[in-house]
Amino acid sequence: MERFQKYYLSLIFLAVYSQISAQVNCSIYPEGNCRKACEISNQAGEAQGFALSQMAFDTAIEICPNYDDALAEKSVPYLKRGDFVTWKKLIDKAVEINPKDHLDYRGWCKFQFLRDYNGAIQDFDLLEKYRPGNIGFSKNGDYNLYVVKAVCYSALNQKDRAIRLLENLYKTKDYHFGLYDYYQLGVIYYGTGKYDKALENFEKQSKVYDFAENIYFRSKVSKIRNKDYLDLKRLALKSYDDGKTMKDVYTHHFNKVYRKQIAEL
Amino acid sequence: MKNIFYILFLLPILFSCQSEKVIIIYPDHVGDVEFNKNIDDPDFKKCMDKDYGIQYYDYNSDGLQYKGEKIEIVQALEKLKLSASRNTNGYVTIRFLVNCEGKTGLFRTQQMNENYTEENFDKDFIQKLLNFTKSLNGWTPKEVQGLKSDYYQYLTYKITDGKVSEILP
Repeated sequence: MERFQKYYLSLIFLAVYSQISAQVNCSIYPEGNCRKACEISNQAGEAQGFALSQMAFDTAIEICPNYDDALAEKSVPYLKRGDFVTWKKLIDKAVEINPKDHLDYRGWCKFQFLRDYNGAIQDFDLLEKYRPGNIGFSKNGDYNLYVVKAVCYSALNQKDRAIRLLENLYKTKDYHFGLYDYYQLGVIYYGTGKYDKALENFEKQSKVYDFAENIYFRSKVSKIRNKDYLDLKRLALKSYDDGKTMKDVYTHHFNKVYRKQIAEL
Repeated sequence: MKNIFYILFLLPILFSCQSEKVIIIYPDHVGDVEFNKNIDDPDFKKCMDKDYGIQYYDYNSDGLQYKGEKIEIVQALEKLKLSASRNTNGYVTIRFLVNCEGKTGLFRTQQMNENYTEENFDKDFIQKLLNFTKSLNGWTPKEVQGLKSDYYQYLTYKITDGKVSEILP
């Protein structure tokens, strides 16, 4: 019983800061083991990373072996804590059972946590078979996954391919632009030396959300063109200091720029 | 918040249905590291009375917190020009604890290839990466609700053709 008291204290402590996982509507399952597994998994997800939570996921998987959400949720704390070997084994099982619902997350994580560009693209391509034309969004909500795919191409030095993908995507009817979409396209253009196109996208970005990195690149273009860039540089530094910069709880954003780099421009 | 209390009561009941004695097969929190006298520095002290499993990303963090930001780590490593054989590809993750003074200890290493399976790379190269990680002294201490806290951090070195091509997270 002492052991459980210890866990109670830990769980209460956890309630203050836990990263609550996604809840599944268990009523979609008929009465029986898989509905029970779903309920157990939902509750376990609220104590993510704790021993009892992991054991509850095991119970869910034991009573409903094909309950993919339990496998996926069990994998998450390993990912966040850098045990990628264990994470991959678990998420692969979830993907095997239900590729349609887990390939997006696995592909995104390969990119976000490991910069595994080829691996991410493979997952997004596989997902296309199950969800043609709509592969979804990154877990943090910042990106359409086609943008992530394009960024992966750019990282693999296939910048023209990345540009084509993004230009076509942004022309899609009713496309919902993400927080950094124009910025990412602007940086890719910048990398190809097409500064007019780069600037065009940085300016579009500034109308959606202007942040230090975006201002920094506008400043860089001005400097390359021997124009006054110092006002923009100062603005970029101020934005950075005001916290208007690319942020992520777990990792750094692709094409993030640090304060030191802005200061050295 | 309400559901957290369901868990407090449901889990023991759940497990008690299965067996009389619950055997905990996991550490208190995923990723907890216990002191090992054979490899850990006995002078490294934790600040908290127990391990609460606090991670670098907990409590509205903006990710990795290092003096001068992560670019300082990247540039310091570049200066060392570390490399392994050209056919070395994969990831080296070094996990450790940062105490309330920003000091580090309890280092643990995981090596994996591009297929996400464990693989041992060149020992000398791994030792140099470990030494580099141990030498980093700009970690920002964490405070949780006014309490100075220990927290877990990791660094993942992506290795491409024998060179570190990325540092994560």
